[in-house]
Order: sequence, then structure tokens, then C-alpha cells
Amino acid sequence: MRRRTLSLALLAVIATASVAVAEVCLSPYVKRLAAPEKYLYVYSVDADAKDNDFLAVIDVNLASPGYGRVINTVDLGSAGNEPHHMGFTDDRTKIWAGTLLSKRLFILEVAADPAKPRIVKTIDDVSALTGFHGPHTYYALPGRMLLTFLSSADGAPPGGLAEFTNDGQLIRVFKNPDNAPYAYDVAVKPEINRMITSSFTPLRNYMKPLAQWDMKDGGNTMLVWDFKERKVIQTLVTDPVPLEVRWSLKPGATHGWTNSALGDSIWFFAQTKAGSFTAKKAADLGKGCLPADLRQSPDDRYLYVSCFMRSEIQAWDVARPDRPRLHDTVVPGVSPNMMHVTMDGKRMYVTNSLLSTMDYSGNFWVRLVHIGPDGRLKMDPFFDVDFTKLPTGPARAHDMLLY
Amino acid sequence: MRGGRQLASLVLVAALLLAAAPRPARAHDAPQRAGAARLLSTHPSLGVIGRAPRFTLGDPEGRPVSLTDFAGRIVLLAFIYTSCPSACPLVTQRMAVLQRRLTAAGLFPSRVNFVSVTVDPDRDTTETLARYAKGFGADPRGWKFLRDASDALRPMLAAWDEWTKPLPAGEIDHPARLYLIDGAGRVREIYSLSLFDERQAFLDIRALLVQPGP
Repeated sequence: MRRRTLSLALLAVIATASVAVAEVCLSPYVKRLAAPEKYLYVYSVDADAKDNDFLAVIDVNLASPGYGRVINTVDLGSAGNEPHHMGFTDDRTKIWAGTLLSKRLFILEVAADPAKPRIVKTIDDVSALTGFHGPHTYYALPGRMLLTFLSSADGAPPGGLAEFTNDGQLIRVFKNPDNAPYAYDVAVKPEINRMITSSFTPLRNYMKPLAQWDMKDGGNTMLVWDFKERKVIQTLVTDPVPLEVRWSLKPGATHGWTNSALGDSIWFFAQTKAGSFTAKKAADLGKGCLPADLRQSPDDRYLYVSCFMRSEIQAWDVARPDRPRLHDTVVPGVSPNMMHVTMDGKRMYVTNSLLSTMDYSGNFWVRLVHIGPDGRLKMDPFFDVDFTKLPTGPARAHDMLLY
Repeated sequence: MRGGRQLASLVLVAALLLAAAPRPARAHDAPQRAGAARLLSTHPSLGVIGRAPRFTLGDPEGRPVSLTDFAGRIVLLAFIYTSCPSACPLVTQRMAVLQRRLTAAGLFPSRVNFVSVTVDPDRDTTETLARYAKGFGADPRGWKFLRDASDALRPMLAAWDEWTKPLPAGEIDHPARLYLIDGAGRVREIYSLSLFDERQAFLDIRALLVQPGP
């Protein structure tokens, strides 16, 4: 009886600890920050492709005289790459950063001096190495990186997954199945040995201006994998183009959400008692939203959706996970896209470029939304990093990481 | 007596986790487990991650031990330090559980061995390591606790991408990984200290024994 009580207490402690340390939307294998963020890395496309693409370092240390300013840029050495997403290795010493229009992939070291990241390796032709094109998500596994790819090397489906060592040696690849060839995001729930991937559109489509896209050339599936076996075990059908995969952060929870870009909807997925998964539409975001990003609060109470076309960020209350309720909205400026929520859940950094072929505004920025204890969103009137007036001209700011 | 020891272990684990709860997690934080839904895989896909960097270090008796000494056997390699307040004792405890299970299956120490390398050789003397090993019931026939002088250890840690960073209060931050090495000296799985599950490790080892791979 006494042992049972102790075990229950232990479980409660584990649950409490897990919630307290959540740093949202990163792989659970990534080392967490031990203190509030000091640097915001912004992966940036030179807008007219006349100058090189770069990684910007913004000072976000409130105590610093440089707060709110770009204090450094890391030149990627070439233009027209379409820098897009990036991710930390498990030990948070390196950032993997790929591109969607070129075949270059960069590995940057950040631990020695987080204010001054430096490129330690460039893979010039990731397609030759993997047979894929367009690395999208950079997901840390212990000692390795798991990458999703949007296309095969020829720019058509199938996309897939590739595993690398942290220093850039290819380990193995996994092609998407023929009946679900489109790829996009990946997220692992190690506790239940499940991994879910989502689906977007391949290079042959996204390389064209948006008006010329074939809207049928995209996925409407999420794949459930046996993570340890690296094997697809189930295909879930959603509205068109389910993008981000966000598992619930609650210990023991086996559900999550995705945002359907062309369905203007949030979808809820969950494991049944029998072990299989179901997916259902959980929220209608309003016609013309085009939800480009989906983020979570560390307490698992709210989802944040960036409506790229309607220029607003929505906060959805997911106290009832399968029945999100619109809680608040804020207008950060035109075409909000990527969001990055801090580990304390109090701040959300926002950028506003999606893809060079999709952007409809020439006004680029990085801004800050404060999140109150009541979950309400409020723009910071002072934090406004103008990416249209950089020394190299306008730049499209996309993905972000914190250090 | 045994029940008392187990009870003490549970109290220790609870206390360690309580101590770890309020602060943000580091690379070296305590293992955690979600609810009851843990699913294990009996057919894990264990790709060849790379060749395991070779090393020769000293055991608590000062005898040299090389990775090549384990050729033909599966090795689980952990990086620890004995004054670590959170993850190391928990992982070592889970390795001890795994050792018992492998022993019961007739696999330890004949076919599977463990190696724990200290990243803190200045404080982890041979005597300290020996006490630590004994405290966890490590079977010296198949579980080696190794160290070397800092200068000699550094290249080995670098080869394994095992950087160290001193933290306040004497803690050491370092990559939170365990490595599963097959009989041919290749890394086949890397575990996170914080998500290490000895039950899945047992299944991984069994899979490697059945299908050693390419």
C-alpha cells in the first residue's frame, strides 16, 4: 500500500515536471533552455535574390542595450536558396537549416558563441545524397537528425524522410508510400512509439507563383508510423494540406492537432483504446484564413493559428481538446506566418514570409506578441524589427529558433 | 531487506524528480515516463548509424579496457558522473534492471556487456567508481566503469561528441545519450537519457542478436 502511494506520488511528480519544463513545438529530444531566451535566430531569404541569403541573429535579451535589433547575420554564401525551416540537434549545439529551391543544406554551430553562429558544414547537393528534394522539418533524435523532404529529387512525389548523424552523415531514407506520396512535417511521441507525418505539395508546384499552382497536387493525409520500426501503420485522411503536427504536451496524452491550409480548419487526431488513430475536423477557422502555422501554449491550453491570408493570429482554447473554442485574435500586421512561443508561454515571436512564391506583401518584419495569463494576445508596440530596410535590402523572414 | 531497498530507491527517485521539477530541463535531466500507454516495439528497425569510435580507458583496478575487447558482443555505452543528482543514478538504475533481465535471459555477460564512462574523472576516482558500481549491483564480469585522466579522456569524449560544460553547484552538462553498439562495433541505436526505457532496450538487444544486420 505504501509502495503504491509512493508510485502514485512519483507519477504525479513526473507529470508536474513534464508540464513545467515544456518548450513547445520542438522535438522532445532537444535540450531545453535553462533560462529565458537571449537570441532569436531568423532564417531569411534575400527578397530580390541579388544578395546572399542569411541567418539573422536578433537580440531578445531584455537587459541588453541591443534588445530588439539584428546584431549579426550569417551569410549563407549564395542567393536564391529559399531558406525555410531549421532545427536544433538534440544537444542544442547545432542548427540544421535547409532550403526549398536549391539543394543546399547548412549546419551551423551555435553553442560556442550563440550571438555568432558559424557554418561548420554545407551539404551542396542533398538530393544526390538522399534522392529527395526540399528538406522541410528538422527533427532531433538522440545523436541524429530526422528530416522530412517535400519531393523526390526530380521535384515530384513521393517525398519522404531521411536520417542523418548530427554531423551530416546520411544513415538511411524512407520514401512515402505510393498511396500517400506527399510529405511535410513530422513529430514523434516516444512514450507511445508513434510518429506522425503530414502532407503539403512538391517542388514542381510550389516553385511556381501561387496563381499557377495546381491545387490538386497536394496531400490530404497524415501517416501514423511505428516509430521504432520506421513503418507506416495507418493513413488518416483530412482536409487538404495538413501541415504542422502538434502532439499534446500533457504526459500520457495520445492526441494532437494539425492545421489544414486549404481546408481552413484544425483537425484533431487521437489514439483509440484499440491503439489505432482517428482524425476529425475540430474547428473551422473561417474562409480565407490559410492557416500557415500552428503552435501550442506550454500548458496545453491554447493553440495559436496564423491566418496568412487574413492577417490575424487566432488563439483557440483546447481545454476540450477535440472541441477548440476561439478565445482571442490579434492582428500583428500583414500575412503573419511563423510563430515561436517561449518556454514560459508568455511571448510569441512572429514572422510574415511564407514562401517567395506565395508572399503577397513586400513588407517584411519580426514582431512580438505578449500572451497574458488569461491567454489573451497583445502586440508589443516597441518590438518591431523591420526586414525591409536591412543593409542588403528587403528580406523575407521565415522560421525562428531561440537560444 | 530487499523490499526496504526498493522502497528507498523509490523515495530517492521521487526526491530527485521533485528537486528537478521547478527548473527548466537541461540535456541531462531525469528520465520521465508518460502514462500507462507506453508501447514497445518487438521488431525495431536499427539502422547502422556509424562505426563506434574506438577507445581504451582504465577500469577501477587500473586495467586498460578497450572497446575492441568486446568484439562479438553487444555493448550498451553510457556517459555518466557519480555526483550527478538526477539522470545518471536513474539511468544507471535502469541499466541495473536491464542487467538483471539480460542475466535471467542468459545473455549477460556472455553476449551483452555494459560500459559506463565517467565524464568527471577529476572527482570520479577509481575508488568512487568502484563504490558507485557496487551500489548499483553492477556485475563486474560484464559491466565496466571506466575513467582516465582528463587529458587522456578528452579525445575519447570528443570522438563520441560528448562535450562537457561545468554548471553551478558542481553539476556537469553533457549530451544525454546512451549508445547501443553491435558485435561488429557499429552504433545501432542512440537513446536519450531522459527517455531511456530499459524494456525497449532489451527488445532492441534481442533484435540485434537475432538479426545482426548488414
